[in-house]
Amino acid sequence: MRKLPFDTVLIANRGEIAIRIVKTLRELELRSAIVYHDVDAGTPAVSMADVAVPISGRTPVAAYLDAAQIIAAAHEVNAGAVHPGYGFLSENAGFARKVLEAGIVFIGPTPENIELMGDKIRARKFVQRNGFPVAPSAIEEDDPATFISRARSIGAPLLVKPSAGGGGKGMRIARGLDALEHAIVQARSEAQRYFADARLYVERYVEKPRHIEVQVLGDSFGNVIHLFERECSVQRRFQKVIEEAPSPALSAELRKKICETAVDIARAANYRNAGTVEFIFDGSEFYFLEMNTRLQVEHPVTEMITGIDLVAEQVNVAGGHELRLSQPDIVLAGHAIEARVYAEAPARGFAPTTGKILVLDYPVGPDVRIDSGILQGQQITTAFDSMLAKVIVHSPTRTEAALKAERAMQELVLLGCETNTNFLARVLADEQFLSGQVHTGYLDENPHLAAGEFGSDLSAFLAAAALLTRPVRDSADAVPELHASLGSWRN
Amino acid sequence: MNHFLELEGVDYQLWLSPCKQGYRLHLGDEVTAPIDFCHQGNGRGILTIAGAREPVRFAIDGDTIHLHIRGRTSVLRYRDPLSALALAEKHAGHLVARAPMPGVVVATSVLPGEAVAARTALMVIESMKLETVIRSSQDGVVERVHFKEGESFEQDAVLVTLSAEGH
Repeated sequence: MRKLPFDTVLIANRGEIAIRIVKTLRELELRSAIVYHDVDAGTPAVSMADVAVPISGRTPVAAYLDAAQIIAAAHEVNAGAVHPGYGFLSENAGFARKVLEAGIVFIGPTPENIELMGDKIRARKFVQRNGFPVAPSAIEEDDPATFISRARSIGAPLLVKPSAGGGGKGMRIARGLDALEHAIVQARSEAQRYFADARLYVERYVEKPRHIEVQVLGDSFGNVIHLFERECSVQRRFQKVIEEAPSPALSAELRKKICETAVDIARAANYRNAGTVEFIFDGSEFYFLEMNTRLQVEHPVTEMITGIDLVAEQVNVAGGHELRLSQPDIVLAGHAIEARVYAEAPARGFAPTTGKILVLDYPVGPDVRIDSGILQGQQITTAFDSMLAKVIVHSPTRTEAALKAERAMQELVLLGCETNTNFLARVLADEQFLSGQVHTGYLDENPHLAAGEFGSDLSAFLAAAALLTRPVRDSADAVPELHASLGSWRN
Repeated sequence: MNHFLELEGVDYQLWLSPCKQGYRLHLGDEVTAPIDFCHQGNGRGILTIAGAREPVRFAIDGDTIHLHIRGRTSVLRYRDPLSALALAEKHAGHLVARAPMPGVVVATSVLPGEAVAARTALMVIESMKLETVIRSSQDGVVERVHFKEGESFEQDAVLVTLSAEGH
């Protein structure tokens, strides 16, 4: 790494992403500092950082959203830079600006980049104006009085989205036009509460769409490169479950076209640092969806296929340097798959689960990467997002990667809090997934994947549980063998 | 005697009988081949079914048994038959709306004493940033709203108790 204008980086985040950033900072021989709310005291992220500063808030989430406390913490530990991770303040232009005004480097895009791309409406107008493809849409603030009639004229099915949103929050599908107004009411209520911004827009809902996104990197000298695409079509409730790179849906020609379009969009936006341009792909055409102005949860699959540490590149660019890589340096090798382990019950509509982690054993092996922020003994609550860990694998081919990921899901032992690992293993072994024929409605159309029949495993589970339950075993031990052999007379 | 083990919402009525090679599991009318469990310490053991050995990882937390067998994780709950009965008694004549998932109350829309029709919205809850409306399953009178706005609850918590009297 070239010389940097800072030696300490404050991580304004928690959990797995905080740990992931600490690891790169160590390799770069930079000091890592972290802020933490009391509920996170003792978590691996807090113990791994070189220095940790407690912050407080009305709720744990509120603490991590408190820009003033975070900047004060940065000053306290003489941090010359702040890395926001993903979520929380990572896409908050006001925060980025305050960090800069405090004389601290923000490891991310410029506040102007975030303002342009963070507002979905502004972003899509910008992209459209620059001649890139977007899906047909109706934007409320263009003329609120005619919003619904303009939305109707696009034709069903429609997708209602908050202008200020992200992560699928507040999004509603109206399958028919009669469901549109109800979808708008619900989306507006959620948009107001999560983003404090009730503005909406409606766009044509592409049936069986694939979600394909391109990783870009820009520097302050106008250089922009891409690190190929990721496909994130396996989703539940608009949230990604399994991601992979490269996309099995793109020909070499389309890959070149979509990646170059992403670079052109980022260049038009004068984009700096790491970002992701998301597209909807209907099998032949792609449309700009939005741009995420941060490191993505699923960035490890890109790191696996390119061998590039994205956080190190973020730090380099934020340090004022030119990109160390040029496009021909980026070579796509093999196939990577990430599976997100969530505390949730797929069979109960993916409802979140809670509990204390009693046993935790991760799979190990070559080309298996675990990004996790949890520890055995930790209590899982609903205070934060339900993602517990990410398991990422890399193999020469997609088929081998899917098999390796399935095995990793089966080898992962997490007891005490119900998770989606059985479900992930089923998806990774599902014929439709293996054939690459997935789209964002794939999980909804295949409810058997979430339900998970026990089949021949049922008797093994019942037998083990019965033998491990004292009252069941005790009453058997109290029965003389002769009586028992008479069969079920005790019934 | 019969015991109840609950697995993914289904109650399995079963009992064990001893046999030469360990035990047999009686599940309804079915009887399994001999089974046994050999502890290896530290939450590990070997389940033997008809001579075949299955490595098991387990954790026991009160009446809850967490298991990992054949690459699959599951949670089973031992249900004491007596306490199951007592619980049913307590709720006789009452209707309860339970939390389908852990979360936080966003808004309550009824007050105690209020008569409600079936499908009336009782409460709006939020879990993992998704709003869900809790509705009355049938006509009744609100007896008690158990949580206030902003309060959080666990899965299966009773959110609203209704009295079905008069219906």
